[in-house]
Amino acid sequence: MITLHGLTLQNFASGLREGKFSAREIIKEFFDYIKERDGVIGAYLSLDEDGALKAAEAADKAIAAGGNISPLLGAPIAIKDNMLIEGLSATAGSKILKDYRAAYDATVIKKLKKAGAVFLGKTNMDEFAMGSSTENSAFQLTKNPHDTKRVPGGSSGGSAAAVAGHMAIAGLGSDTGGSIREPASFCGVVGLKPTYGAVSRHGLIAMASSLDQIGPLTKTVRDAALLFREISGRDSMDATSADTAYGTELLEPELQKIKGLRVGLPKEFFGSGLSDEVSKTMDEAIASLKSLGVAFKEVSLPHAKYALSCYYIIMPAEVSSNLARFDGIRYAAGGRNGKQSDNLLERYLETRGEGFGPEVRRRVLLGTFVLSSGYYDAYYVKAQKVRRLMGQDFDKAFGDVDVIMGPVCPTSAFKIGERTDDPLAMYLSDILTIPANLAGLPAVSIPGRGAKGLPVGFQLIGRHFREADILGLGEYYERLASA
Amino acid sequence: MPLISKKDVAHLAQLARLKLSDAEADKLSGDLEEIVAYFKELESIDTSGVVPVAGGTDLTNVFREDEAGTSDDGGKGADQFPDKSGGLLKVPNIF
Repeated sequence: MITLHGLTLQNFASGLREGKFSAREIIKEFFDYIKERDGVIGAYLSLDEDGALKAAEAADKAIAAGGNISPLLGAPIAIKDNMLIEGLSATAGSKILKDYRAAYDATVIKKLKKAGAVFLGKTNMDEFAMGSSTENSAFQLTKNPHDTKRVPGGSSGGSAAAVAGHMAIAGLGSDTGGSIREPASFCGVVGLKPTYGAVSRHGLIAMASSLDQIGPLTKTVRDAALLFREISGRDSMDATSADTAYGTELLEPELQKIKGLRVGLPKEFFGSGLSDEVSKTMDEAIASLKSLGVAFKEVSLPHAKYALSCYYIIMPAEVSSNLARFDGIRYAAGGRNGKQSDNLLERYLETRGEGFGPEVRRRVLLGTFVLSSGYYDAYYVKAQKVRRLMGQDFDKAFGDVDVIMGPVCPTSAFKIGERTDDPLAMYLSDILTIPANLAGLPAVSIPGRGAKGLPVGFQLIGRHFREADILGLGEYYERLASA
Repeated sequence: MPLISKKDVAHLAQLARLKLSDAEADKLSGDLEEIVAYFKELESIDTSGVVPVAGGTDLTNVFREDEAGTSDDGGKGADQFPDKSGGLLKVPNIF
């Protein structure tokens, strides 16, 4: 019997096929371990033991029947609580959705169900994915499994902590400005934000629609590729989803091709403000990839330094619009049969005032401000123009190189409570992850080996729909360690 | 003269349909002031002739066929309404 700690999607699949264990056994073991450990970590908001055991039994039957078996059959996965699974709660970390139960499956869930994956439960997150530490959840704190005095990162902190804490083999998160990559870096797991349009957002509770993407959090790069390939693809329910086909190179990268990739180091990503451990992580990762034969080159992204300003105008503008639906009419903080005012305006004010937490209220107000007449051109349109320039910077850099590499976050996991009183300090955690969202590019956080102590990841950003390049490089970096 | 006074915050909160306490309006006015001051850096960038990016993709007019159909979920969405009558959403009087 292998332990939960050693399980990856890949070896789970082979163990299952070889009859080393049944899916039911492993799923049961996961729930036992979650009950023992999650009281300390707080990764999950809700569990679905009955549903998971049923799905595991179905997986075991499918194995017994033989035939064409998906690599994700029976695999225990944690889902961020902003994705809908029919019949289960989906709070998005907000009081306003405390009693909400999803009426349908998100497209990513539908695809994973078809592949036979098992959902253990829904994971904690910053309210409506607004935050970089999961401290903005209306329900609970999540602790970093590597040091429980520290945050797991956010907003997909629950999924990252579940995977890092061995309470799931893999997880799904969503990334609007770094919400998959930053927690992946803090928790020492792989986190992929796919190209904008690669994965359908149908059934994802929207935060900022021009930026949101769903992606995997896993223990290995190969697992990230497996999960990503399964959830990607065009969906008629998401008009921004693109018609793309990811071939075998995603799962079986060729060393000859990967060696030939040219990697750009943007000087703007290596300025002052990087902690010592982050610098060491970058040095080691660059040296490792050089040893493979990969060529490096300095590039420039002159508008990257404006990414934070740009993002904190565009994102809240979209937030203020997307969150208008939470109005006390269709969704109510008090849930069904809650006491509500008969006066419409009062009902709006009360529901939203009480149902939304402080960070959500702050961003809704900020978004309302930048969209209000008199400020619209000065802020919102200006930011949209700078976003264009930032995209052009990347286009230019990708004329010279195939992949761009940099840190994920200026620091490793910070202490719980350290940044909660200073919104701007919290926002600065995202400064190196936001550019990929603004430009719609795929980006992955890979756990580095250069720092002692807390985990630190490094970031690889690829051309649109070239997840194969960044995952391929990541995989060969990972193999160097185990060699 | 602050860019975003407490009075402005109260007005924005009304527009955004958020009830705020007096203390929170005070705090938010300070927060927004600091955040918006940070945006000043954008003024120095020459964006003349630059086409704004609207949305996250350059795909345009990706529409499904406009066909009439019936929902196949048996009205499950309506189960979650806070208040309903005969499977329909119940709303308070508007006028």
